[in-house]
Amino acid sequence: MKWVTWENVGVDRMACAWLIKQYIDPEAEFLFVPTGQKPLPEGAEPFDIPGVRFTHRRGHCTFHTMLREFDLKDPILHRIARIVDEADTVQDIALEPAAPGLDLICRGIRSTCPDDHTVLERGSIIYEALYAQLAKEPI
Amino acid sequence: MQTWMSLFYKLPPEPTSKRVYVWRKLKRLGAILLHDAVWILPSTPRTLEQFQWLAAEIAEMGGEAYLTESRFVLTGQEEALKKQFIEQVDKVYAEILGELEREDADLTSLSKRYQQVRTQNYFQSDLDKKVREALLSEKGGIES
Repeated sequence: MKWVTWENVGVDRMACAWLIKQYIDPEAEFLFVPTGQKPLPEGAEPFDIPGVRFTHRRGHCTFHTMLREFDLKDPILHRIARIVDEADTVQDIALEPAAPGLDLICRGIRSTCPDDHTVLERGSIIYEALYAQLAKEPI
Repeated sequence: MQTWMSLFYKLPPEPTSKRVYVWRKLKRLGAILLHDAVWILPSTPRTLEQFQWLAAEIAEMGGEAYLTESRFVLTGQEEALKKQFIEQVDKVYAEILGELEREDADLTSLSKRYQQVRTQNYFQSDLDKKVREALLSEKGGIES
């Protein structure tokens, strides 16, 4: 199925795309539209755009919303959601020292890639690595 | 010339927790409230994104928010506002420097405060470097 989001993806959408490919829709195809563009392409599920189903909810990142909507219970994914939350949104409580670093690296990936498809490809390496390492740690 | 973002919003009077929540987020971003009416931040990809999500959140809470980008027309006003942004972070930087002079300074919490205030350092306060150097020299001055 097709998924659509605004171009210039960052930390949250890189995480979402990785999650979609790994856990929700292995055949996922991603489309990118300019920020704010309306209407969104038909037949594609939008994510991380204000007002759509998969978006920020109650101050939490879209990755978090996706875990809830797809009822994914893996505690490691929830730990990643916490990290993405702290990297992507304004949070009073900071429990994840990896968060600011992850944001920085994701911004760096964006600036070294020719397009958003490449960003998602490289971003998935980061999240795969993050997952593998968190799996070794006590939650 | 600098582009600025303005957020105008209205929330239902109750529950007050939501109003406090939004206000805290705005303070956390280092936004400045002008004339009790509009919250302003310099436009950067990060502030744009954060303001955008905050506007969406306000709508989610049953409120209404307008987000605009603008430039100053009258000379001097922009400089005055930049100064206000710098003063706001300088106050915190100065507090950290003051705390660092104490024998029993809590370096962990001061480093955390430094990291937080840095995210609001939109116009490169001179004190930023000073605080960083002071913190590093407390840790044994490896960089010197």
